[in-house]
Amino acid sequence: MKTSPADKQAFQRMAPGVITAAGFLGDDTRSPERIIEEDGIFFDELGLDFDVVADRLEELQRKGEAGLGEPITVGKLLVQSGDARGMLPCPWGDGFFHKNAVSVRPIDVPLDSCVEGEDMLIYSELSVHLLRVHHFCQGRGSPFRLEPSLIKRLLF
Amino acid sequence: MNPILVGPLTVAGISTVLALIIAVLDKLLNNYGEVEISINGGEKKLKVKGGSPLLGTLAAENIFVPSACGGRGTCGACKCKIVSDVGPHLPTETPFMSQKEIESNIHLACQVKVRKSLEIELPRELFSIKKYKSHVEKIRDLTHDIKEVLFSLDEGEIEFVSGQYVQIVIPPYGEIKESVQRAYSMSSVPSDRTHVELLIRLVPGGIATTYVHKFLKEGDALELVGPFGEFRVHDTPAAMICVAGGSGMAPFKSIFYNLYETNAFPEKEIWYFFGARTSNDMFYLDELRKLQEKWPRFHFVAALSEPSPEEHWQGDTGLITDVLDRYLQTKVPKNDKGWEGYLCGSPGMINACINVMKKNGITEDKIYYDKFA
Repeated sequence: MKTSPADKQAFQRMAPGVITAAGFLGDDTRSPERIIEEDGIFFDELGLDFDVVADRLEELQRKGEAGLGEPITVGKLLVQSGDARGMLPCPWGDGFFHKNAVSVRPIDVPLDSCVEGEDMLIYSELSVHLLRVHHFCQGRGSPFRLEPSLIKRLLF
Repeated sequence: MNPILVGPLTVAGISTVLALIIAVLDKLLNNYGEVEISINGGEKKLKVKGGSPLLGTLAAENIFVPSACGGRGTCGACKCKIVSDVGPHLPTETPFMSQKEIESNIHLACQVKVRKSLEIELPRELFSIKKYKSHVEKIRDLTHDIKEVLFSLDEGEIEFVSGQYVQIVIPPYGEIKESVQRAYSMSSVPSDRTHVELLIRLVPGGIATTYVHKFLKEGDALELVGPFGEFRVHDTPAAMICVAGGSGMAPFKSIFYNLYETNAFPEKEIWYFFGARTSNDMFYLDELRKLQEKWPRFHFVAALSEPSPEEHWQGDTGLITDVLDRYLQTKVPKNDKGWEGYLCGSPGMINACINVMKKNGITEDKIYYDKFA
């Protein structure tokens, strides 16, 4: 299937140094289209719904904000909602999002033994938008990748 | 020649020629020649080569406008007034601008390309900002995710006011192909002009903090730009009610030790509320308790939000805002000198503290803060 011009432009903007220094693709060698396609299949196999996952991530962010920048226990999870200076545009050009970082990990795994992507989810408001609207979880190796199997294990 | 290769070679050849033509045209068409940037009505005049963004052009002339994103247009920190007409605001600028700023011709310096001579206005304090070459003298782990990093300036001295911040220039590393700059409050005292100390907390996924925590070593060279910022002690007799968590302590460490050293503002009582989740997240407890013992007008309140029974924590418990509320109602003396609030941390923490302070009679114009975001 041919890539639309909007998607082509979005994929170009995902490269390191365009919107963020690290970009959105990590060290994934797959094209963004393949990443979206394969993660979509993965979501189906795991019984996950993009909107439901996005809602849960937003809920955790809200609850994490009660920690006032410090980690806070939410059920069996430790959530920390932090902020950084600035805003980030969506690569698809459909919005600007506050630059923040929410980390979610099991309460019994210390931070210094957490492996990003395996024990800990890190996401921002932009990540949630990319997931909900564009079904884009980011490439493997990106610290902000929303790995479907980790989402299932941690959040549901 | 192998006929199979003719096609690809022809395409490659045409592509090369086209690329060369584009490069030549770019050089010809985008050659804006030498232009003048006049700052503050002629206070400073710079002769520069046109064609680059204003932020970088000024930096090349050692005028450093704050930037947390290195000119990528994502932080909104590099605002400056452009007196000359540079056309309408770009869509990349407007999310960071209020209507008043747009009407006042405030632009993001990283989004304005210097195509002609310009007249701009900058705060005069930016002229004292410099770039410093330094080496890492010492790195100390304060907690599992906060490091204390001491930089020794290679030459020159830094003059700053306690409460200000610097930007550290993180070099390319790993998958990060270009340098980035990030702002950190200085925790060192102004009297030490050849060192800069920073408290840097690991932000999961963060480019600068990952570099500091995983790659930076003692002896490494790093550039610092500064000092920046308006956060400082105000010259009034009012008691200071200070609140911070985590690396938010940095400007307060500088402020408290500077006040103790200089005995400045001798009428001010200082209350410092420091919150963390568990005692593993606490640091400088002994140092601050010792400071409290030898300095009668300094009062230190440490609070944990989720201490475990095994910690045998004897101090206050609860979210720092709840502890602050309790103390303002029952323990911090009220007198005719009044109170003022000083806050450093995330917008969420600052907004929550502002609410508590207002509830306890501190007006918003007397609450000063350095929001991280």
